[in-house]
Amino acid sequence: MNSAPNFAVVGHPNKGKSSIVATLSQNDAIAIALEPGTTRSSQSYPLSVDGKILYTLVDTPGFQRPRKVLEWLEAHSVSASDHSDTLKAFVGQHKDDERFTDECELLTPLIEGAGIIYVVDGSVPYSAQHEAEMTILRWTGRPSLALINTIGFEDYSDIWQAALGQFFQVVRKFNAVRAPFEQHLSLLRAFGQLEPQWEKTLDKATQYLSKQRQQRRSQSASIVAKALSDMMSYQEKRTFAQHENVGSDADQGELAGKLSKRWYEHQREREQSLRKSIEHLYQHQRIRRQETELNWHSTQDLFSQDSRQHWAVSRRYLASAGFGAGAIGGASIDALTFGASLGTGALLGGFMGAAGSYYYGAKLLSPALKIASFGKGLTTATFGPMQDSQFAYIVLGRAVDHWWHISHRNHAGRDLLDLVPGDNHWIEGLDKDSRRSIQRTLDKIRKQQPTDESLQQRFTEALQECLAVYEKWQADKA
Amino acid sequence: MTNRCVRLLLDFDACAQRDSGQDSVFLHRRDRKFALTCEEQGEKPTSKRWMAYINRFNDAEAESRQALQTLRSWRRINSGFVAFGALFGILSMLGLLFYDGGQRINITVIIAFVAFQLLLALFTTVQSLAGWQPWRLVLRRFQKNAPNDIKTKLQPVLMAKAAQLGGLCFAFAGLLTLLTMVLLQDLAFGWSTTLETDAQAYHRFIGIIAAPWAWLWSLAAPDLALVEATRFFRASSPDTNINPALWGQWWPFIAMLWIMWTLLPRAILYFTAGLIVERKARRLLATHPAAAALQYRMQTPTLETGNEHNDSVDLPDISQQFALSPLPNARVLLTWAGAHDTALPQTLNADKMVVAKVGGSMTLVDDRNTVAKVASALSKKSSSISDTKPKTKAQKPYEYKVKTPKSEDKKAQASGQEAQESAPHKVSATTSTILKTSLKADDHNVLLVTHSWEPPTGELEDFIANAYKNWPKTAHIVIVPVATNMQREPQPHHVQQWLRFANRTLPDFVSVSLLPTDEVSSTLQDTQHE
Repeated sequence: MNSAPNFAVVGHPNKGKSSIVATLSQNDAIAIALEPGTTRSSQSYPLSVDGKILYTLVDTPGFQRPRKVLEWLEAHSVSASDHSDTLKAFVGQHKDDERFTDECELLTPLIEGAGIIYVVDGSVPYSAQHEAEMTILRWTGRPSLALINTIGFEDYSDIWQAALGQFFQVVRKFNAVRAPFEQHLSLLRAFGQLEPQWEKTLDKATQYLSKQRQQRRSQSASIVAKALSDMMSYQEKRTFAQHENVGSDADQGELAGKLSKRWYEHQREREQSLRKSIEHLYQHQRIRRQETELNWHSTQDLFSQDSRQHWAVSRRYLASAGFGAGAIGGASIDALTFGASLGTGALLGGFMGAAGSYYYGAKLLSPALKIASFGKGLTTATFGPMQDSQFAYIVLGRAVDHWWHISHRNHAGRDLLDLVPGDNHWIEGLDKDSRRSIQRTLDKIRKQQPTDESLQQRFTEALQECLAVYEKWQADKA
Repeated sequence: MTNRCVRLLLDFDACAQRDSGQDSVFLHRRDRKFALTCEEQGEKPTSKRWMAYINRFNDAEAESRQALQTLRSWRRINSGFVAFGALFGILSMLGLLFYDGGQRINITVIIAFVAFQLLLALFTTVQSLAGWQPWRLVLRRFQKNAPNDIKTKLQPVLMAKAAQLGGLCFAFAGLLTLLTMVLLQDLAFGWSTTLETDAQAYHRFIGIIAAPWAWLWSLAAPDLALVEATRFFRASSPDTNINPALWGQWWPFIAMLWIMWTLLPRAILYFTAGLIVERKARRLLATHPAAAALQYRMQTPTLETGNEHNDSVDLPDISQQFALSPLPNARVLLTWAGAHDTALPQTLNADKMVVAKVGGSMTLVDDRNTVAKVASALSKKSSSISDTKPKTKAQKPYEYKVKTPKSEDKKAQASGQEAQESAPHKVSATTSTILKTSLKADDHNVLLVTHSWEPPTGELEDFIANAYKNWPKTAHIVIVPVATNMQREPQPHHVQQWLRFANRTLPDFVSVSLLPTDEVSSTLQDTQHE
């Protein structure tokens, strides 16, 4: 038994076996439907580290003719000692029998040594009608765990738990769609407890999964940081030859319209690509979003008034973050005077930063068209970058909110991703250093000044802090 | 060496840019494999090895082309500096040694010029170390690279190296010009200054300058006599008493002055600039965002959770919608797999010839016996049964209006597992009334009550097949799925699974009906009153 453990997820049809496997294997491409018979053959989902398999989940079709199987088994068995051999004989004899295709598919991994994960739906009343299935499973002699998956809205899980306890070593409740990540790990540890030699492997697997989750968070922060930098610094540019006259107000108005349209489109596309990156990072490849078809006027659009209202930060927040960022800039004057200015530079810088942020905090500063002569008979018209620092906080709020939904979404979920705007109170929990780093970086990007590695590093760390703060805020809210 | 470092950095940067469009899982798997291969072979997974490994399997030409282009453009800049330095060196030395026979060539001017050159050389180095680029604004106008681009970051040190190379060529060309002039002309050197200084002080000053080579070549370190003899004043007429050969004795000093304080510093600083470029390239490589990501990918084990398999499109066809039949009167009532546990309404139980449990916990033998019993009941003369009027209220053909349970619909949307319901639900959610006339004579109908939420299984299919085989041709099974709460209709997607089952099993023999909820509630109340 040195090989990696296998766990066959079995049960009555349509009780959420595939949902359990989808969530635990982080695979949103497993067919899940309310129609019975969606899973027609068993399918293995191995978890491997550097190519070495730690354990395998096997999704199986549901029992179709358990009483017939049991009748056959009882007819061919002499004593309890031959139960597993009789099962093997059943599979051997019926593997080409169409009537028992599902039974053979689900019993094969069990006779090959897999542990049993028996799934029931806790949202429907307990029924003793499945006893034939449970008896067959007992005949395999394999270690077993019963899982109460609640598909609907009613809850009969306590009754199920009491009843299943008579048949299975361990009984656990697990909602494949809503169970938080900690419960995934806890369930996997429970799998490990079915056999002593599996415990270590499953512990190792949960450690890797846990680490992967932490790493995904820091990777998410980097992705958001990159997107924020791109969006805040983005300029739509067009170069003209001198003979193309763009001097008149009408021409400039038309040009501004064209450039601004492209600028807005680009920003929306960039936000979408950020979302896709986060979804891919968390192995969500098939998320359907509520907002996909939304346009400019939609309330969930990046530039909508609603988004601004929900995700923009308060003027007080901007002033305090602006003070911190300004003070850092002003401190360089103090450094030049070797401290002879007694911190006046930092103070002045801080006040200027705070005043500027407070003043502009409530204003919508759209980018403006700028036309500059480029020499060699060329003229350049530019639109952007965005001068409104609130825009960055809107992007940040939406990105953090989307990240939270994705990172907390189980792969069994097939519902539309509807990002209902929250409010901005979450950012109030952010520490001063992070606020300062964010504001300072945003200011530099806005002014098209280069940002060095250390500032970028601090910015990414501050965004990581944002993710943590938002997660806590959501947890407190719940 | 310097070029190799810069080349490695540029290649790495190009490779990182190419990788930026790749899937992170793929990159992780690829780089982790490289790290594990290195570990197996006992090698350190350096960036250089990684580049070699990657390029072995890829067309590295595209990246090389980019790097070569950058290096070539810097080579051109260097050539420009070389040419300009050499030309300026010749011209400067010719200018310094300009001698029309009337005045001496002022040693003080040459010393000042050399000092200026030394200062310039040092300034160039300091500037590159500090990263200060006074010419940045000029360059920004022409450069295409973003400010954070790796090439932009290399610019100060590469520019300093080019400047030092130009300076070196300047010094070398200057030295050659000096030696040529010494050979071709009789140069008359002297020293002059406005300051009131005596020859002794000037000699001490010269001594300090000549200190590095005085021990090696005494001729190149002028003695006091020569210093005293070669002072001149532009305002006074030349002193004709001095031996003219003395004026020319300064040239070894000048040559050594140039070599020691112009040529050598430039050579050293050029070499230093090379080292600075190398160090900068190494540092940029080490701090390259892609390098950190590469390190992470190499050090972190790849974790694959089994998400490669994709059968998301392999879903059962649920697009076809089937209609319900009105609930007919029947004299046989069967309950499938525990449906008898549910409190059935009086109308359903009353006045039945046969009431039996099948499926679930019943044995297959029980099921077979029940089929036989029902067959026998159905085979009896239908006339005797049809004469008997049912005691229950006459049932009108059942009207099934599928209501849209708004609150439930919303809840269903919130659940992923319920999401598939939306398709059948939309169709059935139309409030159209489904009306059908009675299918068969009442005495040949068999009601088969099932739990709506349980899926129809193969066992039920077998039971129906067995019944079809054994019952009279006129017999008809009406599946009646019931919800957990009898007063409510089953959920539409539950009803649809039974309709689809009936349609694919034996459509002429099996149909699906629902209990009318209004009657259910009234009869259930009656039952409670009784």
